[in-house]
Amino acid sequence: TGGHTTEILRLLSCLSESYSPRHYILADSDKMSEAKIRSFEQKRAETFSNSQFTLDRIPRSREVRQSWTSSVVTTLYSILYSLPLTYKLKPDLILCNGPGTCVPVCISALLLGLLGLKRAIIVYVESICRVETLSLSGKILYYCSDYFIVQWPALKEKYPGSVYLGRIV
Amino acid sequence: FRFKDSLAEDLRRADLVISHAGAGSCLETLEEGKPLIVVINEKLMNNHQLELAKQLHRDGHVLYCNCSTLVETLQSMDLSTLKPFPPGQPEKFALFLDKAVGFK
Repeated sequence: TGGHTTEILRLLSCLSESYSPRHYILADSDKMSEAKIRSFEQKRAETFSNSQFTLDRIPRSREVRQSWTSSVVTTLYSILYSLPLTYKLKPDLILCNGPGTCVPVCISALLLGLLGLKRAIIVYVESICRVETLSLSGKILYYCSDYFIVQWPALKEKYPGSVYLGRIV
Repeated sequence: FRFKDSLAEDLRRADLVISHAGAGSCLETLEEGKPLIVVINEKLMNNHQLELAKQLHRDGHVLYCNCSTLVETLQSMDLSTLKPFPPGQPEKFALFLDKAVGFK
């Protein structure tokens, strides 16, 4: 969604072409991100001739301020939906930065790893908006990711297992 | 103005921006190098939106007020006290990721 997409595209901006093909996963209700992603990839294709990417959508796990109990149900539904998608894509690396969409994808990846089907490295970058507290996705994925990156020192102190590189978006 | 695709044009022409505390608005404005006054509406606010605005204010990058003190802020503000906002460094992320993944 919106701000998350802008941030993640900035994170991708300096990555080499070794990070290819790129598979973007969006919430079905997200109307604006697709255009931003296509524009980013189009520019990239101007520099790197073999640039490849795909785009998929999954049901949104949770609306803002949705109640806890219904969130569990919708998230479970999103996980069931993203499991076959993640299995199909078999990513080596998952990069995410906070929207509810990333939780079902990461959980699917963890399940695939546990089943011995594919082990992905999960890298989570908390949004720059999070200065003192983690987002809900962050709180969940802090324990499930291989690398958890924060952009402000207060978070590094609260979450010592995290990585602090300063502001990266 | 309701849903313009991008405010980038308007932003470039502005001398001063008065905005809510949304992260996108704040960061876009600061990156254009425009002075920014952030107006907090405590009733509408998501607590976490305040975090970034507060930090930016602490670091001297924005001025900060609420709806009722806006006029007073505009009258007494000294924009020269605002510090420039250095850009983020995605290169650092790329370097980190290359190591983590085992490239190079």
